[in-house]
Order: sequence, then C-alpha cells, then structure tokens
Amino acid sequence: MPILEVKNVSFSYGQNEKALKGVSFSVEKGEFVAIIGHNGSGKSTLAKLLNGLLKPTGGEVVVDGFSSNDKNAVFEIRKRVGMVFQNPDNQLIASIVEDDIAFGPENLGVPREEIGKRIDFALKAVGMENFRKATPERLSGGQKQRIAIAGVLALKPQILVLDESTAMLDPQGRKEIAAVVENLRKSGVSVIAITHYMDEAVKADKVLVLDRGVVALSGTPKKVFSQKAALDALGLEQPLAGIIADKLRAQGLNIPENIITEEELLGALWTL
Amino acid sequence: MDVVAENLNFTYSPKTKGLSFRALQNVNLTIKSGEIFGIIGKTGSGKSTFVQHINGLIKVQKGGGALKVGDYDLTDKKCDYKSLRAKVGMMFQYPEHQLFAETVAEDVAFALKNFAKDISAEEISVRVKEALSTVGLDYNEVKDKSPFDLSGGQKRRVAIAGVIVAKPEILVLDEPAAGLDPKGKREFLELLLKLHKDFVKTIIIVSHDMNLVAEYCTRAAVFSGGKIIATGTPKEIFSDRNIIEKSGLDLPLTAALTEKLKSKGIITDSDFTVEDFTEKLVVALKNGGKIR
Amino acid sequence: MRDVSFGSYFPANSFVHKMDARVKILIAIAYMVAVFLVSAFHFLGFAACLLFVMLVAVVSKVPFLRVLKSVRTIIFFVVFSAILQLFFNKKGTVVFWVITDVGLLNAAFIIARIMLIVLGASLLTLTTSPVELADGIEGLLYPLKWIKFPVHEFALIMSIALRFIPTLIDETDRIIKAQKARGADFESGNIFKRAKALIPVLIPLLISSFRRADELADAMDSRCYAGSKNRTKYKKMRLSFRDLTGVLVVAGLIVGIVYLNGFYALNSLAEIAGAL
Repeated sequence: MPILEVKNVSFSYGQNEKALKGVSFSVEKGEFVAIIGHNGSGKSTLAKLLNGLLKPTGGEVVVDGFSSNDKNAVFEIRKRVGMVFQNPDNQLIASIVEDDIAFGPENLGVPREEIGKRIDFALKAVGMENFRKATPERLSGGQKQRIAIAGVLALKPQILVLDESTAMLDPQGRKEIAAVVENLRKSGVSVIAITHYMDEAVKADKVLVLDRGVVALSGTPKKVFSQKAALDALGLEQPLAGIIADKLRAQGLNIPENIITEEELLGALWTL
Repeated sequence: MDVVAENLNFTYSPKTKGLSFRALQNVNLTIKSGEIFGIIGKTGSGKSTFVQHINGLIKVQKGGGALKVGDYDLTDKKCDYKSLRAKVGMMFQYPEHQLFAETVAEDVAFALKNFAKDISAEEISVRVKEALSTVGLDYNEVKDKSPFDLSGGQKRRVAIAGVIVAKPEILVLDEPAAGLDPKGKREFLELLLKLHKDFVKTIIIVSHDMNLVAEYCTRAAVFSGGKIIATGTPKEIFSDRNIIEKSGLDLPLTAALTEKLKSKGIITDSDFTVEDFTEKLVVALKNGGKIR
Repeated sequence: MRDVSFGSYFPANSFVHKMDARVKILIAIAYMVAVFLVSAFHFLGFAACLLFVMLVAVVSKVPFLRVLKSVRTIIFFVVFSAILQLFFNKKGTVVFWVITDVGLLNAAFIIARIMLIVLGASLLTLTTSPVELADGIEGLLYPLKWIKFPVHEFALIMSIALRFIPTLIDETDRIIKAQKARGADFESGNIFKRAKALIPVLIPLLISSFRRADELADAMDSRCYAGSKNRTKYKKMRLSFRDLTGVLVVAGLIVGIVYLNGFYALNSLAEIAGAL
C-alpha cells in the first residue's frame, strides 16, 4: 500500500485560475519521486498540499491513512510528511543548531531526554554530528540546508518533501544533499524532490512532469527523459548526457534512444 | 575597456584579530575587452570579492595592489565611481529582489536617472522601451504596472532591463542562472549572447556551472583560497587534472567524457563545447579511436 | 559583512560566562539598585561599586579596556548631564564663574553614577550571549504565565529576531551593493536627499522581510508548531555554586552601601549634635 496518495487533487488561489487540475499519483515507502516543471507549473503549490499547508479545493491527499479532508488529521499528516524549502536561511528559527532541531519535537511535546536522542539521530542522519553547538550563520549553504533537513527528521517523518531545496546551493552543497537523500532512502524514508536540476531527477525512481497544473508526463526517468519533443514543448530539457547522445546519433553513430546518464552514454560508446 | 589587476590583495576586518580574513592574495589578471570571461572556484574562494572590485563596490585597500578598468585607476582617490559604474554593469543573484519602484518604467529608469542627471524625459522613455524590448517584454503592456504584480520570470526580466538600460560596456554577472528553469536559463543565455553582439563588449560570469563555462566562455580564471591558480581557455583549464584537483571543481560533462574515453584509447581534442565535442568524437571513432 | 559580531558579547570560558543567565540578569539589576542606593556625595559607596565591577571584569577574563570601551558610546550623554549640573545648579557657593561647589559635586556624582551603571550593564552583555540573554529573560518571565502573559510567544519572538538580525544585515548589504551598481548614491547631498536615497534599499528590504516571514511561517507550520500548548522544552537551565557565589557578592555590595550610607548618616548626626 502506498504511503502517500494524491487523488484527483485540484487547487485554486481565491478566484484565480486553478493552479492544479486533477493531479493524481502515489508514493511507496522508500520511493524517490522527482517532480519537475517550468516556473509556474504548479510544483510548489503541490508541495504545500502534501503536508496540509494548503488544503485541496477538490480531491484529497491521503498520508498513511490520514486524509487532508479530515480537519483533525493535519498534525498527523505533518508529523509524517516533513518539508524542506528553498532558502535555508528562512527555515532555521534558532541561533544554535541543537535548539533549532529541538523545535519540532518540542512542538509535539516529546519528553526532554527523548528530544536529546532525536537531535543525535537527526544530526547523524545528515552527517553534522560535530555541529551541535554551532551557529547556523557561520555554516555553508549546504550545511545550513542539512541542518534544516535534520530539523525535519527530528519529527521522524516517513516522507521528506524537498521543495527546490538545492536551488540556492553550490555544487558541493548539492552533492551533500544528494548523499543525505540516498541515505534516507536506504533507511526507508520516501523522498519527493521538486527540482529544476534534471541530473537530480535522473536519480529518482519516478519522475512527474507538471505543466499548467496537470501531470503532463510521468514514469521512470528513462521513459520521461527520452521524450525529447515532449520535454521541449514543456519548456524543459533532457539531461546533458541525453543531449550529447542525440547529437551523436544525428551524426550517424549507432547510439540507443533512451540514454540519460553519463554511465549509459559511455556504455553505449564502448559497445560501438 | 580592459580590466587589469596587479597584485591585488584584500582582507576582511583587517584590524580585528580572529575575524580577519584574507579574501584575495596577489591576484594578477587581465580581462580583455571583447571576452566572455568565466570566474570559477568554490564558494569562499574570493570570486565575489574580486568581481566587486571591478566597479568599486569594494574599494582597493591601501597597499592592496593596483586595479585599472579602462582609463579608470581604482587606486586613485579621485576615481569617479559613478561614471565607472555606468560603464560596468553588475548583476547579482536573484536581481529581481532589488526591484523597488512603483512602476516597471520607473524601476528600469533608475540607473539612467542616476548616471545622467540631465537626461530628458523623452530620452528616458526611449531607452526604457528599448531595454524592455531587449529582454522580451512589451513596453506598453508593463510600463505602468507595479513590478511586484508581475510573475517571477517577468520580474527577473525587468531587473535585467534595469541593469542593461545604462548600456554598460562591461557586464558582470554573479551566478546569473540561479533559480531559472531550463527554458528560462536558455533564454537568458541567448540574451547574453545578443547583448555581447550588440553593445556589451565584455561579459564576466561568476558561476559554479562548469557546463555553462565550457559552452560560453572564451577564457576563465580559477580561484582557490583567494589566489588565482590558473587562467586560460576552458580547454586548457579542464584538460589539466592538476588544476581541477587543486580547485575542487567539477568537470563539465564533455571534459569528463573526454577523460574517460581517453583511458580506453579514444582520443578526442575538442574545445569542450557540446557541438565541437560530438563532432570530434564522431571523427575519432571513424578513425579507429585516434584524431587525425 | 560576513562576520558582524552582534552586540558586545566577548566569548570566553570563565566563571562569569558559565553562570546562569537568569541569575546574571538578577545580579545586574541588584547591582544597579546598589548604585542608585548610594546617597548623595558618598563617593565611598561608588568606590565599592567600582571594586565590584573590576572584580567581575577580572574574573570574567574580559580585558578591562574592552569594558571601558562600552562607556564610549554614551560619553555624549554623560558630558551633557554633567554640563547641565555645572551651569544650572545654583545651590552652594560659587567657586568659579557660575559654577558652584554643589554643582561640581553633583556633576561628579552623576558622571560616576551613569558610568557605573553602563559598566555593569555592559559586563552583562559582554559575558552573556544574546541567545542566553533571551533564554534568561524567558526564564525570569516564566512566572508571569500565571497572569496569562504569553511568555513562550515572547521568547520565540526574541529568539527569531536574534536569529534573523545577521541575515538581514547581509541582505541589506547585498541590496545596497546592487543599487550602488545601478548608480545609487548614499553618500552625498543633505539629510533629506540621503533619506530619499534609502528608499530603493528599504522597500526591497521590507518586501524580502515579508517573504522571509511567509516562508518561516510555512517552515514552522511544517514542523508542527501550534503555539505553547502541550509543548516541551529541551533546554534546561540549572543553578550552580557559581550562581550562589555571585548572589552573595552582590548582596554583600548592597549591605555595604546601606551600611556606608548609615555610617555617613550617623556621622552627620553626631556632627549636628556636636554643633548644638
């Protein structure tokens, strides 16, 4: 049974045109789902619907049996769906790392000793054990964002939503976050990553492409990223390895159609 | 206008023990007019400190070396920074965060009014119209709108128009593509090339995106720990293992592929742009792995 | 702009630094009361206060020069008050021009009082980080919960404000640079012109603050924030022997000053009696 189900969800801000129109998908335990789409496609609206920051105007989001239409379930949903946003500066509330991570468990009324343990656990999960007493201002972007993730993990969520969480990071920071995501998947946490970086989406189990509030494409990265014409029409592009593969094919080399990573491209070149 | 830095040094909080930090150490660099120049290196390597010297946002410290931009001597106390800044445009990350005026037209005109006090209202509206159309916005449609009512993409365009309206000879961009989706990024880079053909003689790009640098830059300088550890064409920089390891940078995909192909005996000699790389690779494969 | 040290905190690992912030705030208040207790012209009481300040400074390992620097910021205020006393106090006998002996004594008394209070307050902020101060204030306000004072919300606001000050300083720096690059001039012209020049900085700063507040609210909601109800608190403050020592020393100071006041009072009583 999926841990999260989005069932025919629609949403509109006030009287405006609908930001989402009948979006449906599901996420299994430990699955990594990437959501891509151009600016204004409805990605961030969708993210906010996943943990009850926004309520669907039609359809429902079901998390581990709790429905977004049930008024009393919102905290149960938020406990299970952790959210990390784009700007790390705007999600840290305390000037000392451990105080910040304690914020979530404190809100849930977790006993003091248990909060200490959760801080240990969360810092370890993001590889920041040595920064317990540090001040966030002095950390790099990637480190700040890892603290933000730790602050969410301290709630022991089953699903982690990353809403363009790597957009403001340098390549080093992006690598750090990718490593954290990989670890979380191994430990059974599902990850939903909203991103502009195609090379991040390539690593997902499933990719959803949003366009003007509807799911325009979905499937494995291979399936989605091999549809060059469709991606172009949606204002997106293939990962660079795919673009290079296409160019080589156009110049007469016998390269298969659905190449999306560097490794696959090299593999195809060796077998020529 | 060439940018010539000689032995440039800069230290943050030089007087406070413990907090002082040497951000630039003996930087020597010449950026010639006409280049699309990349400034690359890890976060904190001194890139931003260096480029902010170019238009005097950070002043050359006493005894901090020499810096000339065209005829402007930035070590001279009497240096006219205002007229320098009219010729050296600078755009930071997320430029749309600096919008402030009541209308789009006013915001775009801000730089013009600052740089040329006696400019006529007609001249302003002509220039604003021109700048907005360069970035792909319709003057009549947006001029009276509040910049804050626009979409994210439109805000970014207005902000760009607000910089290029002064027709700078040199344009410095700090992480220009941050936060743009693939299509937005492509359009922005096309705009840069168009500006470069038009009136912007030199473009200086600070970026973490090595694919972008390989594709667009004529030359680049690699910063590491406040020093320049290499200067050259993308081809020279990305084929030197030493530089890459010392600076901790990633390789552009084309260079990474070139390296791996080489280890299997397929030698290509491209400039690491996608176009050239694929062409050379096809030729190399047809010739049994060797370039001819 | 990266390393803006906020306030005047002087990081060190000393007896005073390790004291409980709540106790330090209370001691600072008690010390100020002591300074005010010193009755007119009994400068020996001030000497006792100065001794206390010097003792704290030595124990806290804060360089004395650093402590004195804190007085610099209010020097204008001190001089102004002293001048008022010197020229407008008509009591006593004239010693020079319009200056009377009482005026002189009053001026000296006021200078000493203000300086001693500032020295004490700055020792508190030098040895207590803003975060600890906020926690201390929260701890002291805690009993007010019983009269429905929103202690938790108040503490959260303080904590968030402290957290965002460096971020907003960075942001201001960035916006100023971006507008300067567009030819903005913040350095020339009269005061009105300069104030007007700040608009292109203040508006983006305001808008970005709203944006940050919005995102922060979402982040807090996402971490199950629901006000102070059923909330636990991770950080616990514990009292130690250091705090007791501090309390005893300041109590000694107050007793001493009261005693000195009394001593002088007794003395003058005896003088009056003798004259009769």
